[in-house]
Amino acid sequence: MSIAIPANIQISAGEDADLEDDEQTQDWSEIAKLSRTNEAIAVIPKRGEKDFEPDETNMQELLLYRAQKAMFDTLTNFIRGSIIKSQVKAYYIPETHLAYIPQPRGNFMNTMGRATSSGDFFLQFHEFVYLAERGTVTPFIKTEELDIPLSIQDLYVLFKDQNELDTFAIYAHLKRLGFIVTSADDTSYDTTSFYAPSSVCSKRSHLQLLYNALTGSLAQQKISLHNRWFFSPWNFYFQKYTSSPQLYRGLNTLIPSTNIPKTVIDLRGTFRDTVQNENTDLKINFNVWKPQTNYKKKSPGLPDYQVVIYNKNDPSSHFPTYSEIKGIFNSLDYKFEFLQEGMDWDASTYTNGIKRSEYLTSLKSKAKQKKSSDNPMNKNVKTRRPASSFSPQVQQLRRLRNGFRTFLLAIMDDGIISFVKISEADFGSENVWHSPMLHKVRKSPFNRNKKNGKNVEGPQKFSASTIEKK
Amino acid sequence: MSKGKSNYTSQLRYKFPLPIHPIDDLPLLILHNPVSWICYLYKYMKSHNRLQKRIHVEINGDSFPHILVEDQGQMIYLWDNGFFGTGQLSRSEPTWRSRTSIRLGINDDTLQNEQSAKSQVALEKLTERRRQQRLEFKRERDKSEKQLLELRRKGGSIEEEEALLEKEREALREYKANQLLKSVDEEEPNELRMEDENLIDENGRIIKLESLQLMPVEAIFLSYALPVIDIPIPELMERLCGGTVEYETIHKLITRYVAYHHYRSHGWCVRSGIKFGCDYILYKRGPPFQHAEFCIMVMDAEVPRDYTWYSTVARVTGGARKTFVLCYVQRLVSQDKILEAWDRKDFTTIFSSYKVAEVIYKRWVPGKNRD
Repeated sequence: MSIAIPANIQISAGEDADLEDDEQTQDWSEIAKLSRTNEAIAVIPKRGEKDFEPDETNMQELLLYRAQKAMFDTLTNFIRGSIIKSQVKAYYIPETHLAYIPQPRGNFMNTMGRATSSGDFFLQFHEFVYLAERGTVTPFIKTEELDIPLSIQDLYVLFKDQNELDTFAIYAHLKRLGFIVTSADDTSYDTTSFYAPSSVCSKRSHLQLLYNALTGSLAQQKISLHNRWFFSPWNFYFQKYTSSPQLYRGLNTLIPSTNIPKTVIDLRGTFRDTVQNENTDLKINFNVWKPQTNYKKKSPGLPDYQVVIYNKNDPSSHFPTYSEIKGIFNSLDYKFEFLQEGMDWDASTYTNGIKRSEYLTSLKSKAKQKKSSDNPMNKNVKTRRPASSFSPQVQQLRRLRNGFRTFLLAIMDDGIISFVKISEADFGSENVWHSPMLHKVRKSPFNRNKKNGKNVEGPQKFSASTIEKK
Repeated sequence: MSKGKSNYTSQLRYKFPLPIHPIDDLPLLILHNPVSWICYLYKYMKSHNRLQKRIHVEINGDSFPHILVEDQGQMIYLWDNGFFGTGQLSRSEPTWRSRTSIRLGINDDTLQNEQSAKSQVALEKLTERRRQQRLEFKRERDKSEKQLLELRRKGGSIEEEEALLEKEREALREYKANQLLKSVDEEEPNELRMEDENLIDENGRIIKLESLQLMPVEAIFLSYALPVIDIPIPELMERLCGGTVEYETIHKLITRYVAYHHYRSHGWCVRSGIKFGCDYILYKRGPPFQHAEFCIMVMDAEVPRDYTWYSTVARVTGGARKTFVLCYVQRLVSQDKILEAWDRKDFTTIFSSYKVAEVIYKRWVPGKNRD
């Protein structure tokens, strides 16, 4: 459960502190209670004091015993194994590299596999191995006379190459943590896109692009004239600057920085259907949704994350260069979290080429999905404070820290998986200079005393720096 | 005093973010009073942004040029107006002289007009004090842990233990709060050592020993972008890179400067990031006000590194609670064009032929991002 950071605490202490918790041991006692009482509302237990070494007291022994017992209880109270009656058989089909389930049933069907129009249920190979490893399905291969059961070893032999094995490992890792994961190239669902189908507004966006390019080059020209002047040795002999921001604006004209799409229109203008770079095999591999109960497999809407896989030890690949990263940014199609809060995603995304809101009303059952945390029944929900209620400085700092378009890079190193969040940042359009003019300190001694007196009450008044957006 | 709680003195002292000051003492312009127009115009015509006297720099050494500012007043000026350079005998701010004068109890009148002498406590002092306090706190915590052990040995119940823990926690919290309240004590002059005599000249003043060293990019900024130091930019560049150059020899300096200038021009205080394993760190305003928030690594756009390198830097910067930013510098024209401009000494063309793009790199833990 992520914790909303209180506004008055510096954000710098925020997210990495979360990361550190990661390495601490789990407290099992509450989970044991859950498995007994089966209560739906879990409470995150408070950690006790940590004992660093044995102190040879009975008290410590007792505490240790209790903690151990809680863990063992949790593990032993759970019934293991499967019942023959509810066994689900899955048959591997060598020709298509898929698995067929004649009598599909179980929760996994909500998020995995797909049914053809004739009603046959198929699993992709990585889904098949994942479910077989968990014991949810029993793997078989069909021959003419009989069904031969497959072992897990057998399944691993069936992987075609290292790439597929990596893909499976990362898929399984995310699935085990509760995420909903689908292959990005799987188009058998009703796919939802942030971008309008090309027929609708391609003309406009092309015009927009042309316009952007033109104004961009004009602006560039203007800048180069101005900076030639600012950086000439004569600048300060003829030009006078009456405030620090003026000086900064002069300095600003030298280095061009990359334009970053931040609005709906910009995003739609820069979108490319596929990662445009011939000499790379990096692509978006997975669409990932946060755990949720109302996920609709048939039309899942936009994913929360998109994952790119990179094997560190593959001699033919390398960490993405800037142009590769940019290519990936331009082909992202997910729930851009930096867009305005309270954005109506159904009204601004497209499913099967029509507006998603129209698509949803055309469905018989309302396939609107909700996150488990949106559920009003869930009392433990912590509502996040809207970003716009923070001071401009905090908002600016957040923009700089979180960046804009984001993807996850999953790095595979001999079975060890790490994730990195790669986000586009824009320091080029945020100015953080402090302007003394706004906090001007007068020079006369009378005023100084007065200000000094004032300052005792509110020193914070002076520490605010000015924010300006280009 | 800790970072973030800036006081009035430092507000005054660090009033200007750049060593070139804006003209900010113009008289009030009153529209219906023509006399004020004349006053204003006169003042406006008379004032200018230039420094009275450019700051003198020495450049020593051939293969590794040291760019030094040696005058005490100029050292302090560069620190106060944009936090440039590092004192060679100090952590960053050139405080050796004032620290020594306090330590030896010498009232150095050359330091009188600088606020740094007494009203301001040196950053080194603060760190030392913080470490001391941390140590004291740990001792206090050890004491309370001993009490707990005592209780356990005596066979206290869990309820008793919890009560004790609660009490101790409260006491520790109070202890910490009191620690923060305590102001920094005035330091008593220490006893003179034999070698201290060498620090004092015949007039009883402290000799000049420390100088301020500038990073090459800082020197370029202070010569090229703002006319502050007394060496013209073509001469400085020749001193740094030699007379005839290959593209490879100037590439690194140019890209590093492009990144430096980019952040400086948007108002950041940019300082070396070597302590955090990266190229630059960015402060909002400056080191006395806030901790640095970003670590910048200057990258060539098309040259990837091994993943281990990224993960190493990200761990170090993440451990210091800073955001790790990859700053990609792309060259927009051919190498020959750059060399041509270099021969013409046309640095504006060179620097504006590069474009920056930034990417934030952050470790992502799936278990922490589920809802």
